[in-house]
Parts: sequence; structure tokens; C-alpha cells
Amino acid sequence: MIQLDHVFKVYPSQIAALSDVSLEISSGEFTFIAGPSGSGKTTLLRILFGAERPTSGEVTVNSMRITENHFRKIYQLRRTMGFVFQDFKLLKDRTVGENIAFALRVTGHPQKDIQPRVSEVLQWVGLQEREKDSVLTLSAGEQQRVAIARALVHTPPLLLADEPTGNLDAQMAADVMKIFAALHRHGTTIVFATNDTELTKHYPYRAIYLENGRKVEK
Amino acid sequence: MREGARFFLSDAILRAFQNMRGNLFPILTTIGIIGISMLIFSTFSLFAFNLTSILKIWEDKIEVIAYLKKGVPAGEVENVLKRIRQLEGVEAVKYISPSDAMSFMEKKLGSQRNLLEGIQPGVLPSSFEIQLKKDYRNSLGIKEVVFHLKQFRQIEEVQYGQEWVETFSGIVHVFRLTQWIMGGLLLIGLMFIISNTLQLTISSRKEEIEIMHIVGASPASIQVPFYIEGLIQGLLGTGLAIVFLFFLYYKVLLYKVFFLYLTPVMKEWFAGIPVLFLPLKTVVIILIGGMIFGLFGSFVASMRFLKYSG
Repeated sequence: MIQLDHVFKVYPSQIAALSDVSLEISSGEFTFIAGPSGSGKTTLLRILFGAERPTSGEVTVNSMRITENHFRKIYQLRRTMGFVFQDFKLLKDRTVGENIAFALRVTGHPQKDIQPRVSEVLQWVGLQEREKDSVLTLSAGEQQRVAIARALVHTPPLLLADEPTGNLDAQMAADVMKIFAALHRHGTTIVFATNDTELTKHYPYRAIYLENGRKVEK
Repeated sequence: MREGARFFLSDAILRAFQNMRGNLFPILTTIGIIGISMLIFSTFSLFAFNLTSILKIWEDKIEVIAYLKKGVPAGEVENVLKRIRQLEGVEAVKYISPSDAMSFMEKKLGSQRNLLEGIQPGVLPSSFEIQLKKDYRNSLGIKEVVFHLKQFRQIEEVQYGQEWVETFSGIVHVFRLTQWIMGGLLLIGLMFIISNTLQLTISSRKEEIEIMHIVGASPASIQVPFYIEGLIQGLLGTGLAIVFLFFLYYKVLLYKVFFLYLTPVMKEWFAGIPVLFLPLKTVVIILIGGMIFGLFGSFVASMRFLKYSG
């Protein structure tokens, strides 16, 4: 599902965010990308997401090569994946339901299909009772669950998560991890970036470690 | 495909209205700024239009008078009249006989017409009043017609108020040049103001746009509602400007200023000059222009804020 072949990413300031990274992630796999801050995790996820291009090397995601030619059609790639951020990125002036419906509305889903799908994904993350509530009334853990629900709304085969538990306390983080584990059981491929190396030890999933933009063995 | 395009467009229009409803304050601010900008432009157009109509009235008054020598036989007068009509640049020619000239003078003198007592019409010369074609109502054009008239041996003298015509031609030239330069500068300024204002509207929705990118909205589905908003804001702002300008014209310019605050001399001077509002065609052009400004402004603003990224 994901293939990186000798990928380099060098920013104009000559900082090498990724150096010669090669990896392969199969369909249905749960993979941690672990490493300290500045190790290149976010850059790697942004490349997979099509938000950045590699300086050199080949990247294939969902059978699409992330090259300059495809950059204009990156939105098609994004509909095949969900992205969960550490800071949730929710619209604060809207309700839980509206935040999720927004993702469907702007991607051209017919109005009649939106409401049933919103209810379905909210049930998945255990927030069906909070649909009409403003996101501002939710706890950080609940907000992250709304963000996960929004990422799931297109039923993507791939879910990218950039430190989704970084802003949560232990209990909330455990609740969120349960949702990711359940999604994995249902066949979703998950790439989960974290700087918490302890977390990777608690779960039976593969972990790829990065340090200073390079892949390292641990 | 056609069905898909129709759905896309109707959805984009719906989203444009929903976006506007949800962002009333920045939208109203933008409409207000577009309105003020277009009011400045429409006011300029109104002044330019009225000045042009005044110049046109003066322009229509430009004519050439050719006085005939004494004793030109009637048959020859007819021949000269025919030849003048054939001259390039001549629109109409009217023959004024000595008795016509006398009646004209009597009319002009009014109650003092007794001054003309004892004067025989025969003392006055016959003449031709020559009206020129539009393109010839300028210094060069008149000189060309006058040159040809002077070739007629039956014509004694040609009068056309040379100094006045030259000054008038200069005024028209400077005015038209100023109109284009001022109008052009104003348009560039307006475009800059409108696109910056629309950037404010778009930047106030930066988070929303970022999420659209994240969830995989197509560039067209992100941009088109903003373009539609730009069109609507341009139309509403310009519509308000036109309504306000009409109000100013009707209430202030037409009645208050022109009929209350003018001195009697000025009133008399302006009496023959109508103060006009912009013609419907110009109003429609300004409204369409406002919509194009809105669209162009959104386009420029979107190039900065709607660039497809993470």
C-alpha cells in the first residue's frame, strides 16, 4: 500500500528532514513511525499525504506515485486516506455533527447520504449522543475522537495519524488507541507517528524508528 | 457529465450562500468597501458623462457662416449651395437671404427693433449657415472645410469663431485624456482594494479552507464558491453604490444644489444644460463591471490563499 524508495527531503534552508528512507507498509498493517521531535516523522507523513514532495526518491501510496505530475490531483489521493492531527483541526464554531458533515459536503456527497453517514461514524467513536453539541464543549479526548470520525467518514483504506495522543492524558490516549486498534481489526491500514517510544512497546505492531531523518534499528 | 456539472454548480452556489450566511460580518464589510469603491467610480462616471453631454451641446453649436458677395445671381446661389453640400465634412447647409437676416436681427433686438427702422434688407449680405459632420467639429476639421469654402469666388468671407473653436478643441482633448487616465488609475486602485478586501474574507476562513484541503475537496470545489461569492459581493456592492448615487443625484445634485444654492446668474447659465443620470446601458455596464471586479478580486485572492497544499 505504501512504498518509499531512497527518499530524501531537503528544505531550502539545507536542513535534511529525511535522508535515504526506504520502507514498505502492506495493506491492513498497523505501523508506528516513532522518534523524537525533529526526527522527520511529520515530514514523512506530509509526503504520504501529498502535502510535500520528496526532494528525490520514489513514493507510492495507494498505487499513486507522489510525483510532480500527480500533485494537482492530490485531492483524489486524499479521499483514499484519512488524516488525524495532534491539534485536532476542528471548526470551533460548529457542532460535532457539522464538523463531520463538512467533510462530506465539500467532497460533493449528496445531501441525503450525509446524515446517515455522520451518525454511523459517530457511533464508531462513541459520540453519537454529542452530535448536536458544539466542539468547544468537548474534552480533548472527545475532540480527537471527532477528528477520527471525520477522517473515517470517507471509509478510507488508509489512516495517517500525526501524534494523535500527544495532547491527551493517559486515559484519553488509551481510549483513542482503542479506536485505532478497532479500525485496524476492521482492515484499515494505519500509520501512526509518535514520539512516545513506550507506546510502541505496549502494542504488538511494527515500529519504524527515525532519528535525524534517518531510519534506525532499535 | 452534464448532470454532474449541474450538480456541482448548484452545490457551489448553495455553498457560496451558506458561506456568506455564516460569515456575515466580513461579507458585509466587503460589500461595503466594494460599494464605496464603486460609488467613487460611478460618481466619476456621472461627472464624466455630464461633462461629455455639456461638451456635446457646445460641440453641436459649432457652425461656419459663409457670406456671399453682393450681386450674386439667384441661379448661381443655388449652384453654390449644391456644391457646398457636396463638400466633405458638411452635414447641412441653410441659405439665409437678406430678409431672413433682417427678421433674425429684429427677433434678437426684441423691444429695441425700432433701431432697424429705415434699414433695407438689401444692405445685409446673403449667407450660408453650414453645419459640420461630427468628426469635423474640431479645429483641424473646420480649417479644412473653411479652406474649400474660400475657393468659391462667390464667397466674400467665412466666419467660424476661430479662437473659440481652438480653445474648445483643446478642452475636449484634455478632458478626454484626463477621463481615460483618471478612469484607468481609479480602476487599478479599485481592483487592488477589492482583491485585498476579498483576501480578508478568505483569510478569515483559513481554517475551513485548510480542512477542505485535508479531506480531499477538489481545487474547483474549494475555489468556485469563493468566485461565486466574489460575483455576488461585487453585484451587491455595486448595486448599493448605484442606488446611493441615484439618491445623491436626485435629492442633492438635482434639487438641493442646482436649484437652491446657485446664484441667479449661474442658474440661468445652467438652465440650458440638463443634469443627467447615467443611462441604463452605463448602469448595466457598471453592474457587470462590479461583478467582474468581484470575480477577479476573488481569483487574485484565491491564488494566495487557496493554493493546494497540506
